[in-house]
Amino acid sequence: MTKLNKLAIIAGFSVAGLAGQVMADPICGMNTGEAATGTPVIVGGIHGNAAPGDFSASTDAAKAYFDCVNANGGINGRPIDYRIENDQWNPEAAAQAAAKLVDDAGAVALVGNGSFMEMAVNAQTYVDKGIMSMASACAISECHETPNIVSTNQGPLPSNLGATQYAQEELGATNVACIALNIPNNGPWSCKESIGLMEARGGSGSMALLNPGAPDVNSALLEAIASGADTILLNLPAGLAIAVLKAAEEQDLRDAYTWIAPTPLYDLSVPAALGDYWDGKVYVNAELAPFSVNGPDAQNFLKVMDTHANPDDPRDTFAQSGYLSATYFVKRMLEMDPVDLDDRAKVTDAIRSISGYTSDLMCGPYYVGDADFHMPNHAGWMTKIVDGGFEIVRDCYEFDSAYFEPHIAIEKELGLR
Amino acid sequence: MTRETILNIALYVGAMTLIILLLGWGKPSKVLGLFFVSGLAVGSLYALGGIGLVVLYRATGVLNFANGAAGAAGAMTAWQLGQWAVWPPIAWLSCILVALFISLAYGRFIAPLLAWREPVVKAVATLGFALIILGLVSFIWIDDPRSLTLPTDKIGVRILGLRVTVTRLIVIVTSIALVIGIWAYLKYTAVGLQMRSLANDRDLSALIGIPILRVETIAWALSGVIAGFTGLMFGDLIRLEPTVITFMVIPSIAAAICGRLEHLLLVLIGGLSMGVIESLLTLSPLLKGVRPVAPFATAALVLLWYQRSNRLTFGGGD
Repeated sequence: MTKLNKLAIIAGFSVAGLAGQVMADPICGMNTGEAATGTPVIVGGIHGNAAPGDFSASTDAAKAYFDCVNANGGINGRPIDYRIENDQWNPEAAAQAAAKLVDDAGAVALVGNGSFMEMAVNAQTYVDKGIMSMASACAISECHETPNIVSTNQGPLPSNLGATQYAQEELGATNVACIALNIPNNGPWSCKESIGLMEARGGSGSMALLNPGAPDVNSALLEAIASGADTILLNLPAGLAIAVLKAAEEQDLRDAYTWIAPTPLYDLSVPAALGDYWDGKVYVNAELAPFSVNGPDAQNFLKVMDTHANPDDPRDTFAQSGYLSATYFVKRMLEMDPVDLDDRAKVTDAIRSISGYTSDLMCGPYYVGDADFHMPNHAGWMTKIVDGGFEIVRDCYEFDSAYFEPHIAIEKELGLR
Repeated sequence: MTRETILNIALYVGAMTLIILLLGWGKPSKVLGLFFVSGLAVGSLYALGGIGLVVLYRATGVLNFANGAAGAAGAMTAWQLGQWAVWPPIAWLSCILVALFISLAYGRFIAPLLAWREPVVKAVATLGFALIILGLVSFIWIDDPRSLTLPTDKIGVRILGLRVTVTRLIVIVTSIALVIGIWAYLKYTAVGLQMRSLANDRDLSALIGIPILRVETIAWALSGVIAGFTGLMFGDLIRLEPTVITFMVIPSIAAAICGRLEHLLLVLIGGLSMGVIESLLTLSPLLKGVRPVAPFATAALVLLWYQRSNRLTFGGGD
């Protein structure tokens, strides 16, 4: 999509989102309407933006919200100095970005991070430095299974589970083949739980792993078919998932299998890229509220983006996730004594104590807790690609897996259940 | 065709058949057939890219790493015109024209400045050019899900259980037609003779009055057209992602090396067999993780075989 077309879609999307409503300023932080003038609070954010992917949507949205907060009284009068680094999917650059923000700039927290590279490289650094990362675009195990990273997005594991569970309960799936990237902390890690869910319910499952360096996706599709599956789970980035679906279209396999996918396919560009052939045939899990839900936070997100983001910044799931992380961070900081905002240890403790924050963008409550793992978002919506868009086929539902037992135990401890 | 070439082809085909049989051993013939045909389809794209590289290399001594990037720019332009509801044949033609323009621009204005440099310098310069094009394309078309569809995608025939679309058949038939057509062009036309002369000895060709710039421009144009066509097919059949299309030049180079950067029939056989081996490796739980390495491992083995006669294939004074 060109920048020009993107602008047009964003404009249309924004208009649609606000249709029937009185145009109003966004609500941000203290919402005083006065610019914050105190000593800035330094906050960092790291994204990956280079070939093959741009994951800057979450930090774009977090920045938009922080700018809006700064224009509305900041955090008790103190503006947020949000510093963003791009790791360019380079491990060395990812480590340098963290060192620059955490060591040199003295950031008290990281918010809106969107790079699986930096999460893999820096997870231990954040533990060593006692800083929390309120991430927004997680896709690997380190993002959910380390003490100092907590994300508003789900990542592939829960979203896969949500899609698989729906297919098993509603679409008659008995054997699921999970096509994924052959990256141990992404594909196999996230497919395994969906296969486990199928086996726990008397079905079966398998993985067809795709090497990220191999241009051809046909072999993975053939491998999935050869497994005897009746349902294909496309656990891939959108571009690759579209390539698999195109290969399936070539073979006219649409009606022979059930096609399900986690959130990466929940993208407004996807239905058009897939074409009419797949209309009504692809089921996609949405880890944050689908755009049609349009609750108060969803509307505020769009207003914040319209007033404080660049026109061509994406308004997608990762942007929603970045916005949510930023709102939760600000909400918690506003509850702190302003003099403690420069004390990283106190900020970290405050973030760890977050519990029961809610938003119409997320199915369940958001919390952090003092654990070695964090996955607060493990419920979602199920949608179907219909008429060039997405139709909700199941409203908020919790994903069923033994994987979540430790998370549920913490939720009970926190009184969230 | 010399006796040695025939021996090389026979040995190569024999070795590939053996590898394919080993990888497919014990698998149901239907499954084997599916993966074999799927691999042929991908391999034909590698071959197509390799043919474009060899045509240019033979005439100019430039191994053009920017072929994939030119194809990517063309494919993205075709997609964009499709989005603007431009008549589809114009959009497809634009893919070839954009790649042709990029190839000609480099060949006419940059390549002559490097004409007397070593082949490695010329090749690295095209790599830099490829990255510039890729940067521009990525800037214009930000990362987003897209696809390119041709009407021939909807029509197909079943071969060994796999539905093969007319688009894939077009790629395979075009590869074979190009091999025959370019061979005839080089053998029977005056420009072909001049290209062979340039490939043999550029200095001597200049001395005897061969219009070097004109001949090289034709070679760059031919290479650009093939790059554009390959980009269009790659965007349709594999993925419409500029980075993926740009770097398809790497396995294409492996295919070109199989043909010793001069023998088009071996490039075709090399490309097809690499695709098939890459596809069949999926059947091996042990080896499927190394699928992307298959083209390069094949090329390395071929290089070792060629080296027994101590003739350099690239970067030397041959």
